[in-house]
Amino acid sequence: MNRDGRDLRAERGPVLRKGVGVSPSGWFDPRGRTIGGWAFAVNRITGLGLVFYLYLHLAVLSLLLGGADAWNDFLRIATTSVFLLLDVLLVFGLLYHGLNGVRVALIGTGLVPGRERALFWAGTVIGTIALIAAGLHILGDA
Amino acid sequence: MAVVETRPPRPSRRARERERYQPSVRVWQLLAGSGIVLLVLVSVHMVANHFVVESIGGLRTYEQVLDYIADPLIFTIECFFLLVVTVHALLGLRNVLFDLGLDARARRRVDAGLWLLGIATVAYGFYLVGTLASRA
Amino acid sequence: MHTAEPIEKVEGPSKVTEIRRFRVFRYKRGDAESHYDEFDVPVGPRASVLDALRWIEVHRDPTLAIRHSCFHASCGTCGLRVNGREGLGCVTFVRDLGTTITVEPEANIPILADLVLDMREFYARFPEQHPVMRASEFLPRAVPPDGMDGYERFEDCIECGLCLSACPIAATTDEYVGPAALAAAQRLVEEPRGADTVDILRWADQPDAVWRCHAAFECTEACPAGVYPAERIMDMRGVLVEGGPRRRAPVRTAAHEGGGP
Repeated sequence: MNRDGRDLRAERGPVLRKGVGVSPSGWFDPRGRTIGGWAFAVNRITGLGLVFYLYLHLAVLSLLLGGADAWNDFLRIATTSVFLLLDVLLVFGLLYHGLNGVRVALIGTGLVPGRERALFWAGTVIGTIALIAAGLHILGDA
Repeated sequence: MAVVETRPPRPSRRARERERYQPSVRVWQLLAGSGIVLLVLVSVHMVANHFVVESIGGLRTYEQVLDYIADPLIFTIECFFLLVVTVHALLGLRNVLFDLGLDARARRRVDAGLWLLGIATVAYGFYLVGTLASRA
Repeated sequence: MHTAEPIEKVEGPSKVTEIRRFRVFRYKRGDAESHYDEFDVPVGPRASVLDALRWIEVHRDPTLAIRHSCFHASCGTCGLRVNGREGLGCVTFVRDLGTTITVEPEANIPILADLVLDMREFYARFPEQHPVMRASEFLPRAVPPDGMDGYERFEDCIECGLCLSACPIAATTDEYVGPAALAAAQRLVEEPRGADTVDILRWADQPDAVWRCHAAFECTEACPAGVYPAERIMDMRGVLVEGGPRRRAPVRTAAHEGGGP
């Protein structure tokens, strides 16, 4: 099967990939995914978000080196409603990543075989309760 | 006829490095183990910094931060927390980067880069916490 | 859209009760890029996606390349993605799908033409020099007809490739050996029958083998043969973490539970 001197049969055919946008985004694709796939994708998104937050947090804490005025100026922004909502988002990220991480650790070491869905729903219940409690506390005084 | 004993050809340096550079079960254990430890440390940190002080969001003022970090137990826990969270974060980042289909040489470079980033992070964090503790 | 003789004059796959639109992936070697063709297909209450594709091939477009064999989920040849979800075409029923049905080949495996894949890259991921295709010891209690000495049943994996298509990691890198290969390796560790388990575990203990899995469990969801690849991967990780095979209950399979295809 030749065309323009190329042996088409010898060529590797195209490969379809899942994923939104350019590969290698294949892990992030909500289409045709089951719960496990969603759990993994959100775990990865929260993980990356938390890595970003780690360095952002270190940068913010560096304001303390500038003394009381610098830090208290920051506190004025940090106690606004928008910031407190971001704090709740942070708590969601921590809860999700932490509880799903426990699930992955238990399953991924073969300690709790065959319970991945049950663990996911148990984590969801615990996480929702904790998030509501945290959110009420953080936003309650705002 | 004399029997000539031959040894198999020595693998190339690159092949030997590939052979030596195998992922260890330890990396997975470190990732999972640090994650489990972080459950406790993150909870302590979040409660201490959002749920203890009576203020909006539970956030501490400058003076309250200095008082907080001056406590030797708190100082130790926060330093340990920084170390564990950096390890966990960068191992997780390593997973994401390795999923990009890197060859062995690229993986070694990623590892070297993450080691440097991790050491710098922990060093800066210790400097930050130490400076604040010294001001108390 | 292809139209030939009017739809009313041709037979559907069974009693025709409605018309459904199929949007089928098309690609031939040498094409600059792929495209989708749409076909209106008469279907009945028991029509499968494979029935519809065969109808299209016979009555609308003989150049449509499809692959199938057994029609009952035993051979693994007709693996597809239907509306984005992995499944065997012969047991994916049209009645469970929407008004427009998109049919595409499996992901992460090179395409030969249209819905037909070059499975060599799939097979190449399996651990070399190890007997991954083995007779099952759980034979069905069936009486063979006259002239047949008996049935031989192979272990569950039918090498359909649906797990590799569903895997979010396989979507990012072709180096990952994939769920099917890892599940086959785990079976050899679980029940060696003389296989070299040390070598198999060494093969599995690679950055692109068992440690590339992130427990999404999409492979188990997609598997039509009861292999439970994700559970097997996790089990093998447990073996590696503990430093060697250990005594514990085997990973459940359909055969163990008395069922199976």
